[in-house]
Order: sequence, then C-alpha cells, then structure tokens
Amino acid sequence: MRDRVRRWAAAGVLALAASSALTQTRVSQSAGPAASAAAPPSPAAPAAAVAAAPVSLSARKVYEQARPSLVQIRTVLKGGPSQTSVGSGFLVTAQGHIVTNFHVVSEAALKPERHDLVYVTADGREAPLVILQLDVLHDLALLRAGDAGAAPAASATGASPSATGASASAAGATASVKATSTRATGTKVSANAASAAGAATRGFEPLAFRPPSQPLAQGERIYSLGNPLDVGFTITQGTYNGLVRRSFYPQIFFGGALSAGMSGGPALDDEGHVVGINVARRVDGEQVSFLVPAEFAIALLARGRDAAPIIGPAYGIVDEQLQQHQAALTDRFIAQGWKEATHPRYRVPVPPDVFMRCWGTSEVSRTGGLDFERSECQMDTRIFVGEYTTGTIALRHESYDGSKLGPLRFAARYSQSFRNEAFVRLPAQHQTKPRCNEDYVDRDGLPLRAVVCMRAYKKLPQLYDVAVLVATLDQNESGVQGRFDAQGVTFANAQRLVRHYLDAYRWAQPH
Amino acid sequence: MGAAALAEPLALLESVDRDGLVRQSWRIERWPVTIGRALDNTVVLSDPHVAAHHATLDLVAAAPADNGSDDAAAAATPKTIVVSAGATKNGLSVGRERIGAGASTSIADSGRDLELQIGRSQLRLRLPGHVLADEMAMTPVVVVERRWAPTLGFAFAVLVFVLANVWIDTDPDALSRAAGGLVLATVTGAAIWCGLWSLLSKTFTRQSHFGWHLRVFVLASLATLTLAVLPPLLAFAFSWPWLTDYSFIAVYATVAAAIYFHLLAVEPGRERLMRGVATTGFVVGVALSLWFNVQRTGRPGEELYMNHLFPPQLRVARTKPVDRFVEGLAPMQAILDRKAKEQSGGEIESRDGGEDEE
Repeated sequence: MRDRVRRWAAAGVLALAASSALTQTRVSQSAGPAASAAAPPSPAAPAAAVAAAPVSLSARKVYEQARPSLVQIRTVLKGGPSQTSVGSGFLVTAQGHIVTNFHVVSEAALKPERHDLVYVTADGREAPLVILQLDVLHDLALLRAGDAGAAPAASATGASPSATGASASAAGATASVKATSTRATGTKVSANAASAAGAATRGFEPLAFRPPSQPLAQGERIYSLGNPLDVGFTITQGTYNGLVRRSFYPQIFFGGALSAGMSGGPALDDEGHVVGINVARRVDGEQVSFLVPAEFAIALLARGRDAAPIIGPAYGIVDEQLQQHQAALTDRFIAQGWKEATHPRYRVPVPPDVFMRCWGTSEVSRTGGLDFERSECQMDTRIFVGEYTTGTIALRHESYDGSKLGPLRFAARYSQSFRNEAFVRLPAQHQTKPRCNEDYVDRDGLPLRAVVCMRAYKKLPQLYDVAVLVATLDQNESGVQGRFDAQGVTFANAQRLVRHYLDAYRWAQPH
Repeated sequence: MGAAALAEPLALLESVDRDGLVRQSWRIERWPVTIGRALDNTVVLSDPHVAAHHATLDLVAAAPADNGSDDAAAAATPKTIVVSAGATKNGLSVGRERIGAGASTSIADSGRDLELQIGRSQLRLRLPGHVLADEMAMTPVVVVERRWAPTLGFAFAVLVFVLANVWIDTDPDALSRAAGGLVLATVTGAAIWCGLWSLLSKTFTRQSHFGWHLRVFVLASLATLTLAVLPPLLAFAFSWPWLTDYSFIAVYATVAAAIYFHLLAVEPGRERLMRGVATTGFVVGVALSLWFNVQRTGRPGEELYMNHLFPPQLRVARTKPVDRFVEGLAPMQAILDRKAKEQSGGEIESRDGGEDEE
C-alpha cells in the first residue's frame, strides 16, 4: 500500500514536469460557461474535500463573528445587468475600507469606463465601491464602500460588452526568504480599526489583523472565508504550512481548499484575526492553496486609507509598481550568480534554486538520431496585470549530442532546433511585434550565435520583454542551445540581463 | 492542262487556323471572286454564320489618273482590292475594318497579304507581287527536344540532390525507407507536372513537347534546390541575415521563369504575352508576400532572425565581444517605443469607433 502511494506521488511529479506549465490559478471567478449557477460547484476536488472535513465548533464561532465583515465583490458592466467577475473581500476599518485581491477588481481598475464595482454583504445589502490603492505585486487592492455620494466618478462612455472577463488566468507566487522581515505597522493599524468600530456611521464591522508579533506555527488551523463560485458565503478550514518555498514574494501555503470566487476573502485564525488573504490555488494538486500574508494588507491600508479614489484606468500605478518589481527582480537575479558544473564541456547558465525551479528531461533518439538533454527553469511568481501576466524570468537549455549523425546531419538538426523558437507572446493590443538583433559573439574563445529579441508593452510605457537565443558553435557533432526570457523589464535592465546571461557561457576547462 | 495547272494563279485565297496553319486554299483564276454558302460561289464556305452570297472580292487598276498607259506600266501600277458585302446579317471584316450588308470598301494593295474574317473563317488573300517573309528558324522548343542527353544529366543531378537531402534529414535507422519513398514521390511528381504541361501543349500545338517540359522542370528544380542551400550557407558564413530574409524572391523568380518556359511550348507564337504573364505573376507574388509579412510580423522580410546553422568551420564572419553586442541593442529601443505608441494609439481610436456603432 505504502509502495503504491509512493509510486503515485512520483507519477504526480513526472506529470508536473512534463506539462511544465504553471498550474496555479487565481481564485476569483469570471463570467463564462463555468459560472452557470446550476452546475455543481466545480469538478475540481476542493469542494468534495471540504464536505469531508466536518466543520468544528470553533469554525462556527469564527464564521458568526466574521460574517458582518464579509462581502462579495462584483464587477458589473456599466449600464448592463451582467456581472463579469466575482470575488470576495472583507472590511478592515469602521470607515468602510475593504481589502481584496487586485485581480478581483482588475477589470474595474484598468477599464473603469466599462465596469463598476459593487459589494454585497452576507445579509444581502448591495452598495457601490471605489478603489483607493493597489498593490499589484502582492495582488492586493484597498477599496472603500462608497456611500450614495461617493460613487466612482470615472467618465462613462459607451458601454459595450468586452470579451468575457478572463481574469482566472494562471499566476501565483512562491516564497522567498528576503522579504519576510517587512512586518511592521500591523498591530497599530488593527487596533486602530477595532477601536474605531464602535464609531462607525453605518455600522461597518471590521476584522482585526493578527499581530505580526504572534506568528503561526506550522499545522495550526486556519479558516478561509469567501463566496465560492457565487454560490454563497462559506467557511473552509485548513492548516497553516508556513511560507511557500521559492516564491519571489512571500506567500502563505494554506493546506485547505479554495475555489474560484473566494479570492480576496480573509483567512482567519482561531480568534478570528486575519492572517492572510485568499489568492490562488494549484489546479494540479489537492488542497494546495495560497494566501497573501496579512502584513501586506496592513501596509496597503496604512498607505492608502486616506487616499483619494482612483479615477480612470490604473495603468500608471501598475506601471510604477512593475518598475519597482523589475528593478528588484533584476538586481536579485544578477546578484545570485549561476550554478557551476552544468555541462561537461561548457558552463551553461543555470540559476541557483532560490526563487526559481528547474526541471530536466533526457531523450535518446530511437532511430539512431539526435540525443538531447533539456533543462527548464521558471519562477512561480508572475505579476497579474489584467489580461496577462508579466514580471517573470525563465531559462532553458538543450544539450545536443549528434555523434551518431556526423557533422552535416547534426548541423541540419541543430539548425532545425534553433529555428523552432517563438518570440510572440501577447496579442497586438498589449505588445508590439518582436524586433531582433543578432551576431556571432565571443566568450573567451567560445563562439556563440546570439539572437536578442525584444517586445515593448503598449499600455506599460518603458517596459519590455527580452528573449535571448544562444547556440554554441565550436563543435561539429554536439552543442548547446540556450534561451533566456525576462518579462516586463526596462531597456537598461534588459541589456544588463542579456550581458549577464551571455557572459555566463564559457568552456568548462580553458582551451 | 498540266501547263495550266502549273501557271501562276491570279491570286491564292487561304483559310487559316488559329495557329497560322493553312486548312484549305483556293486558286483564283479570274476576278471577281464570290464567297458564300451557296454552291454557285467561287469559294464555298459551309459555315452556318455565312450568308448564301456573303462577299465579293475584285481587283481593279488603281489610280484612274494615269489610265491609258502601256501594259507594262499597268502591271507595275498598284492595284486596288474592292471588297463588298452581300445580303448578310453578320457582315465581314477586312483587317480591322468592319463592312456591313451592302457596303463595300476599296483597299490599295500594300504588297502584304490581306486578312479577312467571314463567319468563323479566317481567310488570307495572297497576290503574286506580295513580299515573302524570310524563312523562320524552328523554335527553341523543337530544337531542344531533339537533345535528350543534357536533360537526363540534369535529371540525374536533381535526383542526387534530393537523395542528399533525404540523407541529411533522416535519422540513420530510417534512411532506406524514406529514400525510396521520396525518390518515388519525386519521379511521380515530375511525371504528373510534365504530363499536364504536355497535355496543354498537345491541345494547343498538336505536339506534346514532353522533352522540353521535362527539361524546364528539371532545371527549375535544380535552381530551387540550390536556392534552398546557397543563401542560408552564405548567410551563416558571413552573418548576413538579410540574405535569407529575402531569398524567397529568388525562388519566386525561378518559379516565374519556369512557368514562362513551360508556356512557351504551349503558345509558341506569343512569346511577349507569356513573358508579360510570368513577369506580372512574379511582381504580384513578391508584392503580396512582402505585404503579408508586414501584416504578420511588422517587417517585410520573411525571417525574424537568421536561423540556419552549418558546421562551425564554415563560419567566416568574426565574433564580437559581448559588450559590443549588447551596446548594439540600443537602437532597438527607439524603434520599439515608436511602434508601441503608434499602434496602440491607432487601436484605441478604431476601438472607440467600433463601440459607437454597437
């Protein structure tokens, strides 16, 4: 039995490697066929898992206590009856400040001319919302319940249905060590909020944050609240499992089930204090879900509680935060250096396993042809920017052995592989077509063919995607081809990364 | 009788087919000549589009001004041909001139044969004093066809080339089967291609000209195969990305030339028209490809980057230090920034337009 389980686990890992796509999905829900109300909640396992775990007495207590603070956040088409996406949120001050995920409100933030935001409380009251501040990098948004007079002032033009909201795209983040020390302003803010509760003009009942001075231990029970699939408010329980490994920004690994629509909802400890915000889950696993640590919501509240509502498309804010992200990402990526001993003949650039994860395969030709090994490194972290994600780095390389083929036949296959590369990522409304520059480059005597292709973002000024394609050209019957991709970096940082990547190539032993 | 038959006729009237070959000719022994469907005509044309008495041809002395001169002078003076139409619905045409029912026209004999169109028949009137054109050489089509050896030599070269490609593209264990299949496919393809062209030639010229079509096909294949190797090799050796970016133009030119030479054996008399067809096809093809490339990739060329790698010894171009290569990227920024601005601006406008309509 034990054996079987272990084999099963191995199969799971293999499958993940083979698909190699990031199978993490955000848990807000968009309009689309899957959203039909009659359908059972989801074919995915989480719903069943929740049903299996009996809700404890304390869960009932936690839910009753949190219920007045819980809201559903709906993005609706301006002047139209339909909602394009739904998520969850919770009140954090008596003045009506609400925290949710950026991806729950991204349509309203980026296309305010077509979308309105409203919230619905657990007892069915509905009112408009305004956006005060965004934290795109941690996927958070700070909203305020607008009273009658405080409706969003975005200029309304025509209201035509855009493409059905597609915000449930793959994204996510995994843990890093560095940024865990940013717990700062938490206690004060939550205390503030709690004391202000009594004075609320319209009876907003905020949730308090768990003070950062009392960290959770692994295995502690936490409760996630939200409105999955627009079915109704729910509380699911799971465990705290520390921070996600190899994430660029800290994220809590929640051993419980999240479903679409619960995005932005709070995760609470036994006492009903907020420890994190529901954000994503892995669709290829069971009960592997992610929370944004509460400290970032505390910081966002401190930064934005008195801010004026954001009017008009928020691309400026998104661009500014992406600029910070790419600066940090580039610096950390370059500072971490490279792994040694990646190939018997060459030093091929492979990053250390700090915030990236590498998978490899080896293929031997069955027809006496080309043998190759492949290695692929990716970040789990991607920054969600409305209709696409950006802000990530990926590398891969293939090492070819054509000793069974001879020089001419090897060259034909090597060339074929060099040709078989795509440089178009996003559709034309988001990015320009790629432009390339190419030449033979010398690395301490090792000749390389290098191609650098770049694309510019259309709505994010001064941000580019850069891709480098490299083929070693020193041997007749073998070689290495590598590719480096960085998304959403400035031109100067793109050049730095290209130099850093190309400089990494060299012969393992001096010739 | 034999002497009469051998004597030079007054004129010769010929019926000519669309290839310029004579289908029937009538010796004219006296003027005027009547043409029509009725049996009492000099020349009987059993064509339903011809009237019973369709036309009359007559030859009269030319200028009335100098009548009365001697016989020799009269013979030397230019004649006038009078063409008159009878009771016909369709009329007839002389050269480019149309003549309706009952009308007639006088044409000064220019010393060249006169072309007449009556019903669906093309007629030619030849008079004794007319200029004879020089003997024409046989067309190259016919000449080439008699020499098979070079064609077979080129065909062999193509087969060797194809086999070399198969050898390069196939893994060792799968070689023999792939080679057999591809040789068979090449030979069959060539036979079908040349066979179809021969059918066209046969239809229009009554000769198949298979040897000519085969030679055109073989030479064009050889050129195309060379173009698949040579530009990539040069682009790799000298780091000339532009060469493979635009080498498709040379391939188009080869195909256009091949079609021109094939057509030459279908319509041998219309060399200029066929050249025009091939040139137009080439220009339109290149323009469409360039336009399509711009739509697809934003650049007129075909390849985003030079993607042909050969054995490293064939590289001639020098390598660059990394720093210089990276510095060389800088000009891309301005291009990308411009593209990002102009395209998104255009799109926002067009989108707004679309919304208003909805």
